[in-house]
Amino acid sequence: MTTEIQTRKARVLGVEGLIKRFGEHTVVDGVSFHIEAGETYGLLGPNGAGKTTIISMVAGLIPADQGSIELAGFAMTPTTTKAKAHIGLVPQELAIYPCLSARENLLFFGRLQGLSGQDLKKRTGEVLDLLGLGDRAREQTKKFSGGMKRRLNIGIGLLHRPTLLILDEPTVGVDPQSRNSILESVEGLATEGMAVLYTTHYMEEAERLCDRIAIIDEGRIQAEGTRNQLVELTGGVDRIELRGSGNTTATATALRQLPGVQHVDGGGSGLTLTVLNGPGLLAPIVAEAGRMGMTLTSVEIVRPDLESVFLHLTGKALRD
Amino acid sequence: MRGLWAMIGNDLRQRIRDKSVLIFSLVVPLALMGVLNLSFGGFDSGSVELKPAIVVASSEDSGQLGTALLDAVDSLPIMDVTVRKVPAADVGRETRDTRADLGIILPADFTAGVVSGRAVSVQVVEGDSAGVETNVLISVVDGLLEQFVAGTVTAGAGEMAGLPHEVLGGLAQQAAAGNPALTLTEGQSSAEQLSLKGTLVAGQAGLFLLFTVGFGVLGLLAEREEGTLARLQSTPVAPGTIITAKALVGFILGVVATTILLTAGSLLFGVSFGSPAVVGLLVLAVAAAATSLTFIVARLVHSAEQANIAQSILGMVLGIAGGAFFPIEASGFLATLMDLNPVAAFIRGLGITAGGGGLPDVAIPLAIMLGFAAVATLASRLVPDRGARP
Repeated sequence: MTTEIQTRKARVLGVEGLIKRFGEHTVVDGVSFHIEAGETYGLLGPNGAGKTTIISMVAGLIPADQGSIELAGFAMTPTTTKAKAHIGLVPQELAIYPCLSARENLLFFGRLQGLSGQDLKKRTGEVLDLLGLGDRAREQTKKFSGGMKRRLNIGIGLLHRPTLLILDEPTVGVDPQSRNSILESVEGLATEGMAVLYTTHYMEEAERLCDRIAIIDEGRIQAEGTRNQLVELTGGVDRIELRGSGNTTATATALRQLPGVQHVDGGGSGLTLTVLNGPGLLAPIVAEAGRMGMTLTSVEIVRPDLESVFLHLTGKALRD
Repeated sequence: MRGLWAMIGNDLRQRIRDKSVLIFSLVVPLALMGVLNLSFGGFDSGSVELKPAIVVASSEDSGQLGTALLDAVDSLPIMDVTVRKVPAADVGRETRDTRADLGIILPADFTAGVVSGRAVSVQVVEGDSAGVETNVLISVVDGLLEQFVAGTVTAGAGEMAGLPHEVLGGLAQQAAAGNPALTLTEGQSSAEQLSLKGTLVAGQAGLFLLFTVGFGVLGLLAEREEGTLARLQSTPVAPGTIITAKALVGFILGVVATTILLTAGSLLFGVSFGSPAVVGLLVLAVAAAATSLTFIVARLVHSAEQANIAQSILGMVLGIAGGAFFPIEASGFLATLMDLNPVAAFIRGLGITAGGGGLPDVAIPLAIMLGFAAVATLASRLVPDRGARP
């Protein structure tokens, strides 16, 4: 009994049976999940899977057609203010004012979040330092590089120390250096006890950041769990990446006939195979590809990862 | 409320910083006022400054009327005229060579002819540099001739009535030289007419107000395109705060810009609009009406670009129909419709205040503008939302 109460207290976000339709098209179909304090929860799926729509409902931007969202004990709807006081949203698009300085952007959104006076000024300074923008705080953000804007975009979201920080694909279009900086910042948030809802279609980001991951496709959660729990779903299958030229369509058809080959996906310059016991099957696969006239330039065995899980669950590759 | 003020302050800071309001709400209308006043301001009632004119005239008439006519031309109160007398044969050449404004050739029997009622021909020669002054002089000569003919007609009527000849002569002289019994005075109907300069200043202020308020509510579309609208909507501000803040920003910008335009216009072009307090009320009312219009536009369009186009079209239509560039006249239903135009009501209200009218006198224009604001706001709730509003 005691344990159950402690678990419920730690729950920050609870989503139950969420459904959203746009016209005839159901873009979110019965999604349920929860996030606990200090946990980073990932929504992993391709573009169009419904991640941003889920985020929009969780952040109170659009209403759900069915289902419920409870945030820090308050029901979340577009008109609620109590629940919204607990979230920090980092939209996928840069949501900063180019004519204002970094400091002015932070001060403005801080006021909307209820901060004021010395608390606001102090927290603004802290976030500017955290983002590495302290020395350019008074410059208009239109003069910032893309990476600096991305960092400020995140900083605004965590300025008021939200209970739940929602990050919607924060690394899209970011250079590798800035991307790494963003990921390090997010890793640090969990240690401060902040719950994070993170959407991405980059498998590596989900693996690196998230305590639990929901694999989402066509508006539904296909599977949910820790990285290891999800990988176990594949039954220990490996992925073999073939790169080269030739008749990949015919080669794919031939490879599907081989025993132990579960899926063959791709075309053009390469094929991705899901197989049982990759090392053992490598030789016959290469031989069959050669027989079908495919000239291989590289062959790689990839041990099970989230990409394999997605392939296993949906029958298609997780790509941009 | 704190969120509301934060949003208003943030928007105003951005609008001032990106200079868009300064350019489109103040610089452009002031420049346009200047150009329009340079082009048309000279035709303002009572403000045409006629240049000194030279008239070359023949003076071979031995009677009084010829002398009277030339004396009348020479002593015109509205312009400085110099009459130079030359022989009739030289009038054309002298007029041309001396670049005179007008030549007048009076026949030798001018007085005799007029008195006897015979047909008399007076010839005028326009100078090569004929302008407004020449037209004025011709009108004056024409008017004087009409007066002389009136004397002849009077004498004829007296003769038919059997009056003695000595009396007839006196009557004819009196009719020819006297002031007309009926005079036409051009005035201002109910003091509602602004001077042309005043109309241009008021009209441009009203027209550009329709553009200025667009920086408020229509800014929502820019926020959506820039991604900041989603972030605003995720903050714990009361429902309706965002749209209210945008509307107030448009209203404030409209009031400030219109006040500056009217003040600057008054100072630059010498126009007075009357009581500042009543003018202030008119400005508040027209800004409310213009702001309400942006609610409808915001619901009808998909993007900031569409909003700008729609607002420009509405602004030009309402501005021109309201008399921002020149007075528009209509009758029947169309006239009623045009009376409901807030720009027209604003200009009319300023006409009343310029003529000395007070608050009770501008009640109807005020009611029209506030009524327009109420109806447009209500209508915006009924128009299907195509996605711009939060």
